[in-house]
Amino acid sequence: MNRRDLLKWVSGLLGTASALLMGVPGIAYVLADVFRRRPSQATVQRVARLSDLKPGRPVQVGVVGSRRDAWTVYPDEVIGHVWLVRRDTDPASDAAADKQPTVAAFTSVCPHLGCTIGLDATGRRFVCPCHRAEFALDGQRVGNGNHAPRAMDGLECRLVRDDDADDWWVEIAYEKFERGLTRKVRRA
Amino acid sequence: MIRRFSDWLDARTDYRRFLAHLRGRTLPTGPSWWFTSASCLFWLLVVQVFTGLLLMTTYSPSTTSAWASVHYIEQSPAGAFVRGVHYFAAHAFIILFAVHLVRVLVTGAFRAPRELIWLTGLLLMPLLLAWAVTGNPLCASQKGMAQIEVEGNIAGSTPVVGPALRHLLVGGDEVGHLTLTRLYFLHVALIPLLALGLLALHLSQVYRHGLTPAGGNAGRSTPYWPYQTARNAAVVAAVLGGIALLAWRYGAPLDAPADPDLAQTPRPEWYFRCLFELRRYFTGDWEFVATSLLPAAVLTFFVSLPWLDRRLAPRAGLALRALIVAGAGAGFAWLTWSSFHRDWNDDQYQLAQAEAADLADRARALADEQQVPPQGAAWLLRQDPKTRGPWLFARHCAGCHSHADAQGQGILAAEPSAPNLSGFGTAEWIEGLLDPESIAGPRYFGHTKFAEGDMASHVRQLFADAADAEALRGKLRLAAQALAAEAERPGLGAAGAQDETAIAEGRALITGELGCTDCHKFHDNGELGSAPDLTGYGSYAWLTEMIGNPQGERFYPGDHNDRMPAFAKDPHQPQRNLLSPQEIDLVVRWLRGEWYEPFPPFPAPTDARGASVPRQVAGR
Repeated sequence: MNRRDLLKWVSGLLGTASALLMGVPGIAYVLADVFRRRPSQATVQRVARLSDLKPGRPVQVGVVGSRRDAWTVYPDEVIGHVWLVRRDTDPASDAAADKQPTVAAFTSVCPHLGCTIGLDATGRRFVCPCHRAEFALDGQRVGNGNHAPRAMDGLECRLVRDDDADDWWVEIAYEKFERGLTRKVRRA
Repeated sequence: MIRRFSDWLDARTDYRRFLAHLRGRTLPTGPSWWFTSASCLFWLLVVQVFTGLLLMTTYSPSTTSAWASVHYIEQSPAGAFVRGVHYFAAHAFIILFAVHLVRVLVTGAFRAPRELIWLTGLLLMPLLLAWAVTGNPLCASQKGMAQIEVEGNIAGSTPVVGPALRHLLVGGDEVGHLTLTRLYFLHVALIPLLALGLLALHLSQVYRHGLTPAGGNAGRSTPYWPYQTARNAAVVAAVLGGIALLAWRYGAPLDAPADPDLAQTPRPEWYFRCLFELRRYFTGDWEFVATSLLPAAVLTFFVSLPWLDRRLAPRAGLALRALIVAGAGAGFAWLTWSSFHRDWNDDQYQLAQAEAADLADRARALADEQQVPPQGAAWLLRQDPKTRGPWLFARHCAGCHSHADAQGQGILAAEPSAPNLSGFGTAEWIEGLLDPESIAGPRYFGHTKFAEGDMASHVRQLFADAADAEALRGKLRLAAQALAAEAERPGLGAAGAQDETAIAEGRALITGELGCTDCHKFHDNGELGSAPDLTGYGSYAWLTEMIGNPQGERFYPGDHNDRMPAFAKDPHQPQRNLLSPQEIDLVVRWLRGEWYEPFPPFPAPTDARGASVPRQVAGR
């Protein structure tokens, strides 16, 4: 290696090193948000009284929790909405077990692109106003050419007894899910 | 002096030769109105940079401050004008870009050696659209944030790189502060830098290869200055005049501030309506055809056009280009029209649009009057009884209660089984309750157990015993006025000293002849326990307590209550209450008509004693 080649090589090396010195932290900084994962927990909350729900008539309720927006924390905010559908299985049956009402909870976030799912004019069907994805009251997709890649995302939901007030409450675990996927994937 | 300075400058920069060269340029085919599109785009870009820099002096990107800062800009006429120009010039830019593209296609100006001019121009197209898309949500309006939410999700559904791309754009999982910061960064820094780089290449290539391709009737060669320049100036002035007129007359729209609590029906801007419509025909796994494959295919086709054209006979090339222009134009127009047409016929969408417009007006009125609190502009609407009251009422009360006027306008109960609360606490409402014709009717106690209760029978009895029904009605009217005075509703209190005596008479009738205090308590007369307290009837405190717990001692204790639930029974266990104190406050103030109005709907509100009520009561 002669002196001229060495100088070329050194220039190239120093130039690359300088670029890396600035470039690597730069890229790491930009990507930091992509890889910054905060442990997310479901917000478990009582959202409605069973007696306020009527069978077959969906009700939308808000979920209040703390919302973090980058550097700001909002301690008490509506962080999402949930559709509750009460079903009283087989009202004709006399068996006590069949009289037991059940409540299904769905997040109102459309699994397609995240618009807020509403009710259609008849109140018997869910519809997303953005691309007209329709869902039955059990959350399943309705019709051909439905834009939603999957059914509405169901949420964990149970009935809890409030002995003081002699009443049943609907308790749900609110979570968020990735949009646009055929599978239901929890948002990390 | 000036001469010496320009000599000094010329000796160092040689600028005179450059200017002389520019002046000496000629157009081989003569001046044309067709050629004005390029200079018009250039000057519009200058206008956008100028107005954009002005807006940057005030704008503040964050979810709490963005809308407020834009509204602040809108508060000064010059600010509204500058923002209006920026808004309409952006739309004009996209239209003119399409005109320029058509011109270049038709004249075949992309042919060798001008391929780089064509390519840099084509790359500017998606950049330009990204420029517009990153600008629209910056005001953090309901519409803008909903658009970027959906656009972020569209980016996120791109295979492989989608989720990371979405994360980079949105700056986290949810649209928020960082989304605005990043959109701002893209809008005022990265995209302008890229655009200026491409534009520099574009213009230097134009400079190198000549303004227009040679050929054709080359005999008409004419100097550019001033023959083409005058045409350019005329078109630029006309376009700017149109933009200024629109900006002055209409201004840029400003939707209500974004609130994640409110549902949205987002639609893309008009230039994306064709893609929005196209997507209807591709569902499920085929969706990427409409969102990425087709746009990419169109761009690739345009990129390869100079090489494709070279292989075609001149006439076939011209036919192809004519076909492209006609086909793309017709396709764009048809898809766009179909999309708008569908929305025009969609009642639910139209209703949502009307509500969004009302909300925007309300937000601006509140921000004008009260300024924006530190929590952000969305807070204004959340704390506004006129906005939140009906919303809460519809969710929590309208299962049983209606809130509708005589024409049926307002909120109608799903299964009416409780009184209609429109005008509750006013003399008219109470008079209707004290009418034997209506007390058991749908507006009052119909569908409740009180239809057959003591109150209804007492009213009927009064009329049955009365020798003169009209005289009784007059007495009941006085009693109703006395009770309405208890509510102290703003703007609705009876006016004048005459009513002062009427109220005194009414009070005497309540405790005396009409026998109300046999069951009800009214100030120092009567007992609690069997019927609601008439002291402070319909007042803020009365309603708050009633909604909190109707089975309370002052209202319907024990089985006196029909079906009304307690919305805030135990202040020590807020988790078990259906409504928070703030929510009850909003419902109560809405029921009582206590909210800020920019123009008072009633002439000079006065209270029961005839004194002027400060209008600010409502605007608290």
